[in-house]
Amino acid sequence: MTRRPIFNRRRFLGTAALGGAALASPAYLRRAYAQSGGEVNIWTYNNFVPEDFQKQFQDETGIKVNVRLVDDQGKQFNLLAAEQPNPTVDIMTVAGHRFLQFVDSDLLAPLDTDRLTNWGNINPTFSESDWATVRGNKWGAPILSGMEVLSYNTDYVSAEEAQTWDTLFSEQYSGQTAYIIQDMMSIVMLMMGYDGNMVEYLDDPDTAARIVEEAKQFLIEKKPLVRKYYDSGAEVQQMFVNQDIVLGHSWNGPAAALITDGFPLGMAIPQEGSYGFVYTFNIANNAPNMDNAYTFIDAVLASPEIGAAMTRASGFISTYKDASQHLNDLERKATSFPDEQLANLQFFRAEANELKYGLVDPAVEAIKAA
Amino acid sequence: MTRSTRIFMSCIYWAFVLYVFVPLILMVLMGFKDSKFIGFPITSWTLDWYVGVFEDAEILSTFGYSVAIAVLSTAISVVVGTWIAVVLEGRKFWGRAAMFGMTILPALVPGIISAIAFRIYARALGIEPGMGAIVWAHAVHNVPFVVLVVMARLSTLPKSQIEAARDLGADPFVAFLRITVPYLVPAIIGASIFCLLLSFDDFVRSFFLGGYEPTLPVLIFAKLRSGMSPEINAIATVALVLTAVVGVWAERFTRRTNKEA
Amino acid sequence: MSQDVAAAGRRRDAVSGSDGSPVFWGRLIASAPYRALMALIGTSPTRQFVLLAALPVLWVLTQHLGPMLQMLRVSFTDAYPVAVGAEQNFTFDNYLRFFGDSIFWMPFFRTLTFAAVFTFCTLIITYPVAYFLARHVSPKNRMLMLLLLLIPFWVGEIVRTYAIMILLGNTGAVNLALRTLGLIDRPIPFMYTSFSMGAGIVYLTALYMLLPLYSALEKLPKSLNEAAADLGAGAWTRFRRVTLPMTLEGISSGCTLVFLISTGFYATPVLLGGPSTTVFAETIAGFFHVAGDEWPTGAAFATIMFFAALVITFAFQRVMKALRKGDS
Repeated sequence: MTRRPIFNRRRFLGTAALGGAALASPAYLRRAYAQSGGEVNIWTYNNFVPEDFQKQFQDETGIKVNVRLVDDQGKQFNLLAAEQPNPTVDIMTVAGHRFLQFVDSDLLAPLDTDRLTNWGNINPTFSESDWATVRGNKWGAPILSGMEVLSYNTDYVSAEEAQTWDTLFSEQYSGQTAYIIQDMMSIVMLMMGYDGNMVEYLDDPDTAARIVEEAKQFLIEKKPLVRKYYDSGAEVQQMFVNQDIVLGHSWNGPAAALITDGFPLGMAIPQEGSYGFVYTFNIANNAPNMDNAYTFIDAVLASPEIGAAMTRASGFISTYKDASQHLNDLERKATSFPDEQLANLQFFRAEANELKYGLVDPAVEAIKAA
Repeated sequence: MTRSTRIFMSCIYWAFVLYVFVPLILMVLMGFKDSKFIGFPITSWTLDWYVGVFEDAEILSTFGYSVAIAVLSTAISVVVGTWIAVVLEGRKFWGRAAMFGMTILPALVPGIISAIAFRIYARALGIEPGMGAIVWAHAVHNVPFVVLVVMARLSTLPKSQIEAARDLGADPFVAFLRITVPYLVPAIIGASIFCLLLSFDDFVRSFFLGGYEPTLPVLIFAKLRSGMSPEINAIATVALVLTAVVGVWAERFTRRTNKEA
Repeated sequence: MSQDVAAAGRRRDAVSGSDGSPVFWGRLIASAPYRALMALIGTSPTRQFVLLAALPVLWVLTQHLGPMLQMLRVSFTDAYPVAVGAEQNFTFDNYLRFFGDSIFWMPFFRTLTFAAVFTFCTLIITYPVAYFLARHVSPKNRMLMLLLLLIPFWVGEIVRTYAIMILLGNTGAVNLALRTLGLIDRPIPFMYTSFSMGAGIVYLTALYMLLPLYSALEKLPKSLNEAAADLGAGAWTRFRRVTLPMTLEGISSGCTLVFLISTGFYATPVLLGGPSTTVFAETIAGFFHVAGDEWPTGAAFATIMFFAALVITFAFQRVMKALRKGDS
């Protein structure tokens, strides 16, 4: 599964750091919406719409929720592109870093945040950050956030070793590491002291090409040490469980799921830094049930408990204020990082995507072919 | 055949059985693991995943949906495929090679491309996404497999049998139904098994042509995103047992009707 | 299955029952509507054939060619899906891209090589199994033992692929067994190599080889072999001179099926392969997963793959046909 990272200069803040908002009342839905009926069609990942919430929403609004489970971003794009101009879908789940591509292909409708009374329940780190605004509009409601982390089996690798990406390329762990190659390209650029988002080189394509070439040569040189270039979270989880690897780059979601299951796994944002991304609910251009889509998104944002339920099921971090208060200790441990590590994190940015992936995609193919 | 070759051959057979069954046994076993992930070591066991499958109405209806799609698309593929095979094997005609090429075309195109091509074409034809569209795509995709299998068998049909039937007064149509079709039965059974399997296991076409009701592989792919959990193994095991029961019943049924006939 | 005998038996009563009275088929031929229909079709063999071929030709043109022409059209454009306000132009660039860079044609040739090698492996592994089933097992148990082998194939590709991981991983069943037996101290890294990939692919394709081989071997008369033995031919000679030529047709259709199926595999090589085993399907899928404007390149590469597979299949069928003629 290929993800296209999006970006933001702002630093990530721990969700736990922002507290104090009022707790939502349990009767949030009945109060807010009259029975309207009809249906709403959603494409999303398994467990992103909590079952209890879906049931309650259907009972209280009379709107039938049809969920179509998807397994990656690319398929959503292809399917939606094939369905245009009359899509069957109302709401999709696009990661913030893919907005630009969907917007450019005219697949998304701008999000009118005034129609969402609960927009304020989202941590402003996510809802008001500059990646969320493209071409002067908001395009999605942030629900879960993820990041690129270094995961390690605590039986074999120490927390100190996990403080640097260098450990991933050390001889000591030869044949026991894995990473997603596309994502690793950005991180390697960051390790080398460059801007992995490539925004700084927008006006200097030669420098950009030189940097990508340097990162490519580095990964080719380190190729004999890696066990597997993988694609999906399920793969990296299985490699850890089977002890085919003891450390690897991963997204926090799959790693958190292993931790909450009791597997001896740790994760860190190494000192060289890393990137984060955000999943959002988006409304399709020409959505057949536009009003119901707004009703649904507003309802899903209504309470931090819903955010906590999403975190529990997916392992990604909720974008809602106070969601972590509804998690148990182990769940909280698996979905939070020390502040000094979060300080090293930045969002992916989309401005230079065309330049960046024009260079990175062939580099990835070249590394695989090397 | 000497005794030693016989023993040697049976060793190979049982080694093969081991090779295909060990992963299967592991799959069934992992469905009993009390954890969210499959793999060794198994420290505690549970029945919850299997119980969950039977309590989840969605999984069972998904299974029924997949079976219905597989059966319908197979029926279409077998009829059309056999027909095409008869034409191709029947006599030389202009464009026969081109026709053969076009016939096996759907089997040559990688899944993702054929799925997108079908999706675009379906819209051009006005076929709505859903069960009908999936059945159509599976049927088209599986026709080449039927043609290849049936043609292989057809090429060995002794011409003398047809001629004898013609001599006895049967016209070509009747000769076909009474001689050719019975001769093709083993090939048709084999081809049906291929089609059922290909349809039942297809993810990418089902995904692109489906509506909001998932087929079994689509459901499994979606679930896989949150990790390879024993739940998926339990689903696959239950589906396997159910298909095995249906299969054995079908085999018994055909055997009984054969005896009566 | 003794269809041949049954068919031969049926030949005698093609139009009449065993007591000589006209049964269903005889009555059908004699009935007025049937005669009218046949008169309409006519007796000219050419006319009959044209009518017979009409539906298949129509089906193939609209159902098989239609979607692919769409793909072909996309492969010659510079943008698809077309962005609003943008223009779509005709271009050959998507095809030129393939030949311009080794990172594209390397996975391409790798895929064809892998597919050929794995097809051969599948043949070598399943031939003895099919032989054993068809020749050494009593007809009563044959169907049962064949069905037994079919069971694992009802489990989806993904689930079976993960089962292979559980089998071959560092803490997998094989390493566990070897360690318990005291044969190894450290786990053997089977996974993410050409070996694990081969084990996974053969596991998926064996059935498509097994059935055609079985059906070819099953109808081979035992008497042929016995006759050869009477003439003093040894086991190997008998196999090479009698069994093998008689089953070439099964080998040919099995190999074609397996080759076609394995060129299209995507999930299994991606999940079980190592860092250096990228297959072409993965390259192609990349163009569709990444960004909209890469569709035409993906379509062009798919077209190249398709023609390559078509040419190979065709050549292979030719060779097999020549072998068959040459031997008999």
